[in-house]
Amino acid sequence: MTTSDPNQRQLIREAMQAIATRKPGRSKLVYDKTKRTIVAVAEGAQIAQALNITADDADMFGVLTLSSEWIQEQWPALTRDGVVPLSFSSWDDGDALTQSELCVHASASVVYGELLLDAQPTQPQLVAIILEKTDGTTSDQGVFVSPDGATYRGRVQSAQPQGASKTDVVFADVEPQLALRRSSILETTILKNKTALCVGLGTGGAHVALELAKCGVGRFLLVDCDRLSVGNVVRHPGGISQVGRAKVNVVRDLIMEKNPKAHVEVRAIALDQDNRDAIANLVVVADIVICGTDNRQSKLLLNELCVAANAPALYGGAFRRAYGGQILRVRPKHSPCHQCFVATMPDEASDVEVSSETDAGEIAYSDRPVAVEPGLSLDVLPIANMLAKLALLELVADSSSTLNTLRGDFDAPWYLWLNRPEPGTQYADWPPLSESSDEMTIHRWYGIYFDRDDACPVCGDFVGSLAAHYGLDPAQLPSLEDGE
Amino acid sequence: MWSSEQRSRLAVEHQILQREGFSQFSVYHHSADDTYYASGVATSNSGSMYSLYMPIPSGFPTARPPLYITKPSPLLRADGSRISDSGVSHAMHTLSPHENGWVQICHWRDARWHAGIVLQKVFLKAHVWIEAYEQHLATGHSLADFVRTMADVA
Repeated sequence: MTTSDPNQRQLIREAMQAIATRKPGRSKLVYDKTKRTIVAVAEGAQIAQALNITADDADMFGVLTLSSEWIQEQWPALTRDGVVPLSFSSWDDGDALTQSELCVHASASVVYGELLLDAQPTQPQLVAIILEKTDGTTSDQGVFVSPDGATYRGRVQSAQPQGASKTDVVFADVEPQLALRRSSILETTILKNKTALCVGLGTGGAHVALELAKCGVGRFLLVDCDRLSVGNVVRHPGGISQVGRAKVNVVRDLIMEKNPKAHVEVRAIALDQDNRDAIANLVVVADIVICGTDNRQSKLLLNELCVAANAPALYGGAFRRAYGGQILRVRPKHSPCHQCFVATMPDEASDVEVSSETDAGEIAYSDRPVAVEPGLSLDVLPIANMLAKLALLELVADSSSTLNTLRGDFDAPWYLWLNRPEPGTQYADWPPLSESSDEMTIHRWYGIYFDRDDACPVCGDFVGSLAAHYGLDPAQLPSLEDGE
Repeated sequence: MWSSEQRSRLAVEHQILQREGFSQFSVYHHSADDTYYASGVATSNSGSMYSLYMPIPSGFPTARPPLYITKPSPLLRADGSRISDSGVSHAMHTLSPHENGWVQICHWRDARWHAGIVLQKVFLKAHVWIEAYEQHLATGHSLADFVRTMADVA
């Protein structure tokens, strides 16, 4: 057999077509090790010293992805006119064409096309996708189900994308396909209507927001006044192509990439006293508040607003150079608030990562600068992952959920994690991980209990407590003298 | 707009000052524009007098109140230069000066302040700063040589 053999050439052509359509054919391709070439043989033939070539081996075809939801929306026009225009982001030299409606970030190369139903292509320069009736199963991603229940496959007829000899047409039914991956463990219908307010979208805060989006949380309020800088890229989920953009917009787009149905509102403002009313308005509509800021004053301000609004909140942060980190969960009036934490454990509350010039400026003096010493993304992400999990627990708290089996495990208000026994800290002498079975070591989460302060100035009765200490009646205090 | 909790807190703060030996300081309400401030005169061991002024921020007590020395003004270093020219200085334990040139004492940095700190403690720290300042005038050494850093004491 040689390639000049007409019979062999016909067999190869048929085998190639079978591979292209992912269906069994009359012949198949094998790699003949003795002849060191590819030959076609009858489908049932067993050839010694040969390797069967499967469709996966020969997967050199492009993929064109259409939005099922968009086609359903266009169905009246499509059935009436037989054609609707559409466009695609073209990726990898045309290897993948993704319908523009599915793209949060468009490719630099856009290809135009038309979707046809019982009609012929109108313009040869366009990519023509013809919908053909089929009896395919609805679970096949190559099958589209029309509003009237009929099933169709797509076939690209003209203007093949560059570099591909054939293009598979698949239909992205985004919401159901994403929900399917989550539904066995999470209550996606519950999370879809939950709102997470994420304040501070650095490495940790952005990661938490994305993890919640992947889990199906449907509504996000994002607050951060920073822009993504080049230095951020080694840690932040945003990449070099996003440099210069507001972090709220970068994270919004990343969320939309993972959860296209998410509703995301952004506020490019600082968490400070000037914006307290604006932040307070967001807190009251949030089901969970996630604080990823690095400085105490912003955390304490958010704490004050959350306690006032009775909103559960999680405060996460890395220690300096991310040698470890901590998470405080606040259920107002039921657990210690951040003010209680600061007053009870001032050293722990003051151990923060200095990850930016802004952070350093907050604690530096003009004659005593503070170095920027960020930790590794690798060391921040365990804290962010834990925070995301605690946030999920809060969001499903009032529902039946498999996650609720964790309630007994995660009932402490404060969580501590160490990446390394940092010299000069109280953790420097912790035993090696390999030598300890019952002592505290690195790379383990510890839930730590401490009590709420009944005289806390934020969640307790500070004024009443002080007044009682001095034998005063807060309701009968003399008026303050009028100043100049 | 002040909350009732804030107004009560400031009224109690005033009472603490009066009952803890800080009666030279008072909290005042400026009814014309509904603002609050605390002020008074601190007298050093050497008998020098320093007028202190603390405008209460609307976010108090979560927000840190600044504390300025309004007299003497300008407040001078041992070498005769203005302290306010130092800005945020570790050596002099100062923060950004007031637009009138008044020195702002670094009693607590924002990164260390919290709502549980009462104004009496702030005025106590002002007294410590003034004694250190007078030692600076006498020796030329920086204030940081006489007082511990805020990080140590907060």
